[in-house]
Amino acid sequence: MQQVTKSDRAIPAKRASPLRGVLPSRQEIVLLVLLIGLMILAGSLSPTFLAPNAQMGLSTHVWELALLAIPMTLIIVTAGIDLSVGSTMALCAVVFGLCFQAHMPLALAGALTLATGAAAGALNGFFITRVRVHPLIVTLATLAAYRGVAEGLSLGRPVSGFPESFTWLGQGTVLGIPIPGLIFGVAVIAVGLIAARTPLGLWLSAIGYNETASLYSGIAVARIKMWLYTLSGTTAGLAALLFVARRNTAKADIGTGMELAVITAVVLGGTSIFGGRGRLFGTVLGVLLIHETREFVSWQWNRDELNLIVIGLLLILSVLADSLLTPKSRR
Amino acid sequence: MRHLTRPITLGLLCGAVLTAGCGAHKDASGGGGGGGATSSAGKTVNVYLLPKQKGIAYFTSCSVGAEAAAKELGDVNLVYDGPTDGAPEAAASLIESWTLKGANVICVSPNDPNVLAPAMTKAKQGGVHMLTWDADSTPDSREFFVDQATSEQIGDALVDTMAKDIGGADPVGKVAIVTATLTAANQNEWIKFMQERLKKYPRLQLVAIKPCNDNQTLAFQVTQDLMKAYPDLKGVFGISSVAFPGAAEAIKQAGKSGQVLVTGLSTPNNMKPYVKDGTVKSVVLWNTEDLGYLTIYAAEAVANGKLKPGATTFHAGKLGDKKIEGDKILLGDILVFNKDNIDKFNF
Repeated sequence: MQQVTKSDRAIPAKRASPLRGVLPSRQEIVLLVLLIGLMILAGSLSPTFLAPNAQMGLSTHVWELALLAIPMTLIIVTAGIDLSVGSTMALCAVVFGLCFQAHMPLALAGALTLATGAAAGALNGFFITRVRVHPLIVTLATLAAYRGVAEGLSLGRPVSGFPESFTWLGQGTVLGIPIPGLIFGVAVIAVGLIAARTPLGLWLSAIGYNETASLYSGIAVARIKMWLYTLSGTTAGLAALLFVARRNTAKADIGTGMELAVITAVVLGGTSIFGGRGRLFGTVLGVLLIHETREFVSWQWNRDELNLIVIGLLLILSVLADSLLTPKSRR
Repeated sequence: MRHLTRPITLGLLCGAVLTAGCGAHKDASGGGGGGGATSSAGKTVNVYLLPKQKGIAYFTSCSVGAEAAAKELGDVNLVYDGPTDGAPEAAASLIESWTLKGANVICVSPNDPNVLAPAMTKAKQGGVHMLTWDADSTPDSREFFVDQATSEQIGDALVDTMAKDIGGADPVGKVAIVTATLTAANQNEWIKFMQERLKKYPRLQLVAIKPCNDNQTLAFQVTQDLMKAYPDLKGVFGISSVAFPGAAEAIKQAGKSGQVLVTGLSTPNNMKPYVKDGTVKSVVLWNTEDLGYLTIYAAEAVANGKLKPGATTFHAGKLGDKKIEGDKILLGDILVFNKDNIDKFNF
């Protein structure tokens, strides 16, 4: 049913590129209100949760998720999806661990890890653009396959004992800000500027709204998608490096369920799961809301099992928000 | 007006969900926390007890003893939480959160010391008393280790039990070990002492040591493979609470109950069916409730300055005086469950 209406949709004239725009959207306002509400609740139940050092310390748990949400936003705007990010992370971490065990220089090992991520993403892109399989199917397959390769390569054995010069990347701070946070800040501003100042943002939403029309308007749809999935894989490689540095362990089961959290953050942030509409600002809010909710629930109630429930509830909420806030004509 | 009703509906809905969630939780924490935080005059000690994995019988029974100790002591506000999937990185995140939250003592059973030691050292530098229990981490990341039994005691008990179950003054046969993971510190120590002890029984031949990655299905498969590779296998050691039932089930399904003997470490409830049908003669363990109890007594004593480095004994409530060797607080005795006594234990 969605397919039928989708091809009829036109890009709304008013906000030509949904990746652009200065004013917050309705969903973003809802998110802001929710965030403020959560903070007030947290502040009244447990004031220490809001202390700057607590917030700074807890923030170390979110950077990989935040980084992965950037390419995921761009991909979902083109009506695609990448379910394989968590598995790609595991694969990259294992590759890095094996390189380290083989006494390779760390810089080279890091480069190889990023290359592995890029290759994993490019393979997704290849199947999506050349073999023309739906991204959901392709990345569902690689979700299983990359994890399997990671387990096969590592034989389930974790690698530890990385030198401090490397773990600094995940544990160190510059001017009181965790290094992964700085990397995320630079990345989100850079991608945000590119999306807003170049035609790319417009192209991405055009592809999401109507791929065929975009193709005939001269947009290099296949090439753009290829780059997007490669970028997603590379980011997963970077996230893997940060994770390994932070936890001093490289093993095949890291990033399990990561795709769920990332997609939840993006959709919660107002990016339409059907493509076309979405903004990085919303994604940042979505990531923040997930992170703060998760950390606060764990802080207040000490129940690890609530973690998945929280993600599930937020995902339902985000889909609900999407259908409630979007007028039918624009869906 | 229509464009306004949608966001308002949504806002109300969110509010409802949040309020409902909080309401439910207030009830839960009111019931659970009431026992720990009694209104004693002194300051309360915030103690966090971290298991390797939350929701498995072994650690749940430890937490029962821990809660009893907290109740007895009165000034302890005990929180028991840990990763439900056993992921050490999730445990590290919890230690970080608790440090920021103002924990006085954190007692950790590390699933992977390599992952947890950095977080533990950081917490210690932040002024939190760190203890390990059940499994140890690096010595510089904690003050004391509450040790259920020395690795030597456990290794010896496992081998002696197997020898006794096989029978005879000089037991004969091929034996194999199914361990948790190849990096599990506890298990590796035990294996070392098991190999030592096996020298006492020259005709028991250790033919294989296989990991099951703490996965019961894998333990089942590994044991099946072992029986195929060594058709005359006489005994299997399942030396984690997951490896043991997995191995026992494989032997039972192969119809080799009594022929291939299994022994190992597990909680009694897990193994009751196998003990009753004869697949397993003996289950080796320590008193897990006492372990949790001792850990909380030690935590309170460390926080209040009653237990300092260098002490050689320590009085732990109903357990009496416990020996301290260096920085290890010893719980002591090994407990062997068999057909005759297993029904007396329920955990």
